[in-house]
Amino acid sequence: MTTPALTIEELKKRACETIDKRKKEIVGLAQQVLANPEAGFREVKTAQLVAEMFQEMGIQHESGLALTGLKGRIKGGAGPGPSVAVIGELDSLVVTEHPHADPDTGAAHACGHHCQIGMMLGATMGLLTPEVMAQLSGEIVPFAVPAEEFIEVEQRLEMRNEGKLEFLGGKQELIRLGQFDDVDIAMMCHTASDMGERRFAMGGTSNGHVVKFVRYTGVGAHAGSLPHRGVNALNAASFAIQAINALRETHRADDTVRIHGIMTRGGEAVSAVPSDVRLEWRVRSSTPKVVVENSAAVDRCFQAGALAVGASVNITTIPGYLPMRHDTKLQDIFRRTAVDLVGEQATLVMPARRNRGGSTDMGDLSHIMPACHPYTAGAVGPGHSKEYVITDYESAVIVPAKIMAMVVIDLLADGAKRAKEVKANHRPLMTKQAYVKFQRERAEITQFDGAA
Amino acid sequence: MPSKEDLKRRAAEIIDAKADELTAIAKTILKNPEPGFRELKTARLVAEQFGALGMQPRSGLAVTGVRADASGTSAGPTLAILGELDSLIVSDHPHADPDTGAAHACGHHCQIAMMLGAATALTNHDVLDNLAGRIAFMAVPAEEYIEIEYRDDLRRAGKIEFLGGKPELVKLGEFDDVHLAMMLHTTSNPAEKLMCISNTNNGTVAKRIQFIGRASHAGGAPHLGINALNAAMMAMTAINFNRETFRDEDSIRVHPIITKGGEAVSAVPADVRMETFVRGRTVEALMDANAKVDRALKAGAMAVGAQVKIQTIPGYMPLQQNKAMAEIFRANAAELVGEENVGYVDHRGGSTDMGDISRLMPVIHPYVGGATGLGHGATYVVEDYALAVIKGAKALAYTAIDLLGDNASHGNSVAGGQRADMSIPEYLKFMRNLASEETFKSG
Repeated sequence: MTTPALTIEELKKRACETIDKRKKEIVGLAQQVLANPEAGFREVKTAQLVAEMFQEMGIQHESGLALTGLKGRIKGGAGPGPSVAVIGELDSLVVTEHPHADPDTGAAHACGHHCQIGMMLGATMGLLTPEVMAQLSGEIVPFAVPAEEFIEVEQRLEMRNEGKLEFLGGKQELIRLGQFDDVDIAMMCHTASDMGERRFAMGGTSNGHVVKFVRYTGVGAHAGSLPHRGVNALNAASFAIQAINALRETHRADDTVRIHGIMTRGGEAVSAVPSDVRLEWRVRSSTPKVVVENSAAVDRCFQAGALAVGASVNITTIPGYLPMRHDTKLQDIFRRTAVDLVGEQATLVMPARRNRGGSTDMGDLSHIMPACHPYTAGAVGPGHSKEYVITDYESAVIVPAKIMAMVVIDLLADGAKRAKEVKANHRPLMTKQAYVKFQRERAEITQFDGAA
Repeated sequence: MPSKEDLKRRAAEIIDAKADELTAIAKTILKNPEPGFRELKTARLVAEQFGALGMQPRSGLAVTGVRADASGTSAGPTLAILGELDSLIVSDHPHADPDTGAAHACGHHCQIAMMLGAATALTNHDVLDNLAGRIAFMAVPAEEYIEIEYRDDLRRAGKIEFLGGKPELVKLGEFDDVHLAMMLHTTSNPAEKLMCISNTNNGTVAKRIQFIGRASHAGGAPHLGINALNAAMMAMTAINFNRETFRDEDSIRVHPIITKGGEAVSAVPADVRMETFVRGRTVEALMDANAKVDRALKAGAMAVGAQVKIQTIPGYMPLQQNKAMAEIFRANAAELVGEENVGYVDHRGGSTDMGDISRLMPVIHPYVGGATGLGHGATYVVEDYALAVIKGAKALAYTAIDLLGDNASHGNSVAGGQRADMSIPEYLKFMRNLASEETFKSG
């Protein structure tokens, strides 16, 4: 140990210099993921790319976690200490009309996850700067996680039936598999298109949710000559959707209730009374309690649809995500780091109650360990739409890569003093066991016969 | 022994001789309209007329009904000739009672006059002495299925069991000794020509429905409320979602109204009331639609987590007319107005309690013109009394002569040729089973 110790500020500077040096490469990685979009639990090429990068950087890692996840491990050079995960989400959405959509599958990065892979790798590159690693304690876990977007429910249920999955979200499944058992603190950054003049934002919360796969069974019949012999499953579903709309006046603004869905099958042929109609539905609210209440109300609406026309309905309720609870101490480190990098004016801290309405399985993780899920600028267009594209890769990839690297340095330098403080200060809302039990209790299949 | 043609000629003479008086009777009733189970003045007039014809009327049957019988000279079937006493309530009708709004917007006043005209001819000994069997002249109350609340009060007070006049008379045994029944209704439909025979009418059940939610401040605390009006709207949507399963040939009609839609616009409605009829051409189709409507009403309640109370009140049975009797009437109509002026309509979507009688015995319920405007509306008036009353009376009298003359050979063959759908006890059991009150709680 002849080299004099660098200050935390100097360590951050070195890490940022590395990131700046490899900027082109890092952005190139994000764009390579953009060009190869893959929906959740199918991120084979993306996972392969991450594996190659881990290999190249000499990072020991496991792959195929929750089907496609990859988890690296980098031991700090300054001795043992807490383990900090830097997470990037592998999966795309399915938005066929998106300019970067895969023409075969319709998969498209309409939520910026490709930037997350870029920034996760970029932050890791910065942290791997030898003089930086030498002064960090504990462990850095660069973690590429599958399937944050809760889509393709029917296909994932199929995977569940085949025993490949239990939970349908990537982090949920990784928690269940114990892949977060040895992680103490988790972080990631998400791109956003609604930042205005700000470049980095944190705080607020997200909705919890449950997911429904609903299958109406009616009786098919010639729609012209024998409609009286049919039982119209599409009418049953239409009634249910109207019933759900009739409930909206009972939703409290504070609860940020979002109930929405799609019809994945609406009949086979226009000449036949539809007998097999399927829906994927989502019930979101700001607290798990209100999610459970609204889930029951929505089930009642689905059953009323079956009763309305004498059809039957099978409702599979699938545990969804929990609301995001940012660790305040960790968030404060993010805030100070962002202020340092992009300035006070460009940094936004949203009040804790500010609910963006969406949901993320980072919420699940935040219930069992200190976690933070801030936002970074660089995108335009409404999220999940064909207009959502990244126009500023510096903001979308490089800035968050630097911020995450700097936050990890803050946490793990100086004998991981700050990481230990974050851990000590944090009161988890659930243990991992309680979390898995809670989610398993959400899983339910009910059958209701409206003709009985 | 005079031939049937001789008897019809004599009947026509008698009716023609009394034509002015019969028309005046119709107009007197027109000016004194009374809705069902309230036809006091009309019933008194009928009883007086029956008495004047030498019969012994019995009054107060099913509150206001009047029956008088005349026997032929030998044994044979009993033929009932019916006239309906009641008016509608159409307060903007030109002949409406200014106090009650009652108005003869369906021509029943002509029915009473033509029944009395037929009675005048058929009770004359020149005619009656050549008929077999018996004729029961019946002025029947409450054919129009209206004022449900008033009638339900009568029911609760034990004055009636059924809400229509003929079902109530059946229950009282007034049809126990009747083998054949007929009446003649006015029509304003030019397609039905001057006289018209028909085949079937829809049957109906009535429903009184209450959706019970939970009131709360609609602005301040809508999340604490359960919106009963939304439940009712969803129920109507559910009914509409079932319409594609109604077969054309079943002529299903479901047409609800909301009689109470909330208390104040600032409160989440907690008490919403609905009334509906469910109509259909056959008992099976009617019962099928009735079950679907019940299910739809429950789905509406379930949609928002409300309760629904469903009271089902037996209405009228589908009408199925006897073809042989209709053919006899058609021939007589052709003689009176000319072959080309006799129409035919297979099915009518409205309902009549003559349908109930048609489940028990051969009946006909043909039509006579003379009216204009829309039935049950303010424009429905009788303009041609010579047709609607005088020719109508003759058509009834001729048909009675055909059925009961010649030793009632036609009457016996018609009565023997149709097997009743149900016996009177079976009918009463069916009606009583149909009456139900159910509360469905959801959520």
